[in-house]
Amino acid sequence: MKATGVHLKAVKKSFGVVDVIRGVDMDVDRGQFAVFVGPSGCGKSTLLRMIAGLEETSDGQIFIGDRDVTHEDPADRGVAMVFQSYALYPHLSVYENMAFSLRLAKRPKTEIDDKVRESADILQLTDHLQKKPAQLSGGQRQRVAIGRAIVRAPDVFLFDEPLSNLDAELRVQMRLELARLHQKLGATMIYVTHDQVEAMTLADTIFVLQGGHVQQSGAPLDLYDDPSNRFVAGFIGSPSMNFFDATVDDRTEDGVVIRLSGQPDLTLNVPLSKPPSMGASVVLGMRPEHLIVTKAEGLRVTVDVAEELGGVSYQHGTLEGGDAVIFQQAGVRHGMHGTVQTVTPEPGRIFVFDTEGERIR
Amino acid sequence: MSKLKRRRREIRAAGLLTAPFLFVFTVFFLFPTYKVIALSFTDAPLIGEGQWIGLANYAKLLNDRLFFTSLWNNLYFVLLTVVPTTVIALLIALAVSKLKGRMQALVLTLFFLPYVLPVSVVTLIWAWMLDFQFGILQPLIAAVTGKAVPVFNNPHWVMPMIAVVTIWWTNGFNVLLLIAGLRNIPEDLYEAAALDGATPWQRFWRVTWPLLWPVTALVLTLQLILQLKLFDQVYLLSNGGPFNSSYVVLMQMYREAFQLNNGGYASAIAMVLFLVIVIVSVLQFQLLRIGGRK
Repeated sequence: MKATGVHLKAVKKSFGVVDVIRGVDMDVDRGQFAVFVGPSGCGKSTLLRMIAGLEETSDGQIFIGDRDVTHEDPADRGVAMVFQSYALYPHLSVYENMAFSLRLAKRPKTEIDDKVRESADILQLTDHLQKKPAQLSGGQRQRVAIGRAIVRAPDVFLFDEPLSNLDAELRVQMRLELARLHQKLGATMIYVTHDQVEAMTLADTIFVLQGGHVQQSGAPLDLYDDPSNRFVAGFIGSPSMNFFDATVDDRTEDGVVIRLSGQPDLTLNVPLSKPPSMGASVVLGMRPEHLIVTKAEGLRVTVDVAEELGGVSYQHGTLEGGDAVIFQQAGVRHGMHGTVQTVTPEPGRIFVFDTEGERIR
Repeated sequence: MSKLKRRRREIRAAGLLTAPFLFVFTVFFLFPTYKVIALSFTDAPLIGEGQWIGLANYAKLLNDRLFFTSLWNNLYFVLLTVVPTTVIALLIALAVSKLKGRMQALVLTLFFLPYVLPVSVVTLIWAWMLDFQFGILQPLIAAVTGKAVPVFNNPHWVMPMIAVVTIWWTNGFNVLLLIAGLRNIPEDLYEAAALDGATPWQRFWRVTWPLLWPVTALVLTLQLILQLKLFDQVYLLSNGGPFNSSYVVLMQMYREAFQLNNGGYASAIAMVLFLVIVIVSVLQFQLLRIGGRK
């Protein structure tokens, strides 16, 4: 069904000789909240700006609904964008900022007034309509920027790292407000962030971008539970996954026996449907919360830093071979700082990657 | 005790650091200013003391027809230069800001180049170009008016031509100020306006113009002050003629002081011009600020 939403077909972008976006296909269905996430320089903002029409598309096609908008003007695409800097007009009041697009479109005064007041109401800005942006706090400015988008009633909302200029507390609060707003408006939203927590909490679908490619896309927990490569595994989840070099020691009926480099005493049984050959080098990935303290055989970790957060604690340490390890402890206070602990991965929670970083299932 | 000592040390440092400026300011600005004010109430020659004559110089000025001619010419010149030069500078700045990197630097340098020239060179260049017999601009003038015009000897042409020379000479600086102003407007705002459906024309009038207004107001005010102080170009190009049609206040002051040796009267003229500049520029700046706030 191609009637609605945002659809990209083999979209490419190069600045001179530098390829920033190297062929991206994606489908964001109507009413979905899609999040582009990736490290800085991965092309996520560029891709968003291409959808907005602020950057030329070098190759490929962009559809909004069933219209090919690849070479249309930004204003004709039916998109509204919220900028990281908010990009409010400093010389205009909050009211005029929100009314700007309607005034340009020469809408009747009463209609403008109704729409501005309605969205000011949604965003709790009614008391601030006559103020200038400079008189508002960061969170309020952010809301004005969102209000300016709502007033236009676009098909698609685009957010370019909208929360990164806010302090931590406000960021959490605005994140919730955005989630509620999405439920209320039911519009298609595309959101760019480098913060994987924002991505996990807001998204219906996450697109993990790296090196101008979509590495993996899907529901947040699908990416978390079933990453398709080492990059996605390391990027999604906080603190990030532990990785250890290892070799395949033996093959069993339904998997392999793997021995960690520098840990001659410990072997792990991992079930795999397409096991690699004996002696192959692999990388094992284990999430901090899947490493359990045990009295039996396991990985011996010297804990050098313990981050106690109250509910959970993150124990940072090193293996005997020197590899860094993080494991998570819930509930009780352990006082593990400076101790040596033995941890073992939960069975079935070990991810295996080949040396190229691709997942071996 | 130590607090007192520290305080004394700070005062000494402050005094030491401001002393050179205060000295220069007093000797070369405050004292001459006081001297001019005092001179304007005497009948002193340029050098030497004179008799106190109260407001007689100012009273004489009120009946001096040449003074009013000069003042009128000054205002005419302001009309010919201030707004046109600002508009031209804005157009150039908008065009230059569309260029990128080295090309922009090069073009900006070209526009700024005349500003670097001394006024004597500027007037020489234009006196040649507009020369009645072999000036390269005369064919152009002839094409428009039908015959060559000795522009600096024609009462209708002289002020506008001096205005053209002045704009050509000083425009680079205004371009520079406006470019700096344009660079201060974040690119985001234009992108937001484009998404909001603004045409390039609307983007200029609704984003660029209001946000550039403080700089535009500054340029207008600086120009007003500068152009009221007109002297060099007139002195070098037309010497006030023909028939006093390009005579300006500072020329009259110069003539009274350095040619007729009337130090007191010249000081009175200078004082009046000073007051005119203060009043007009303060008035203009306030008006522009109010205009910008709306």
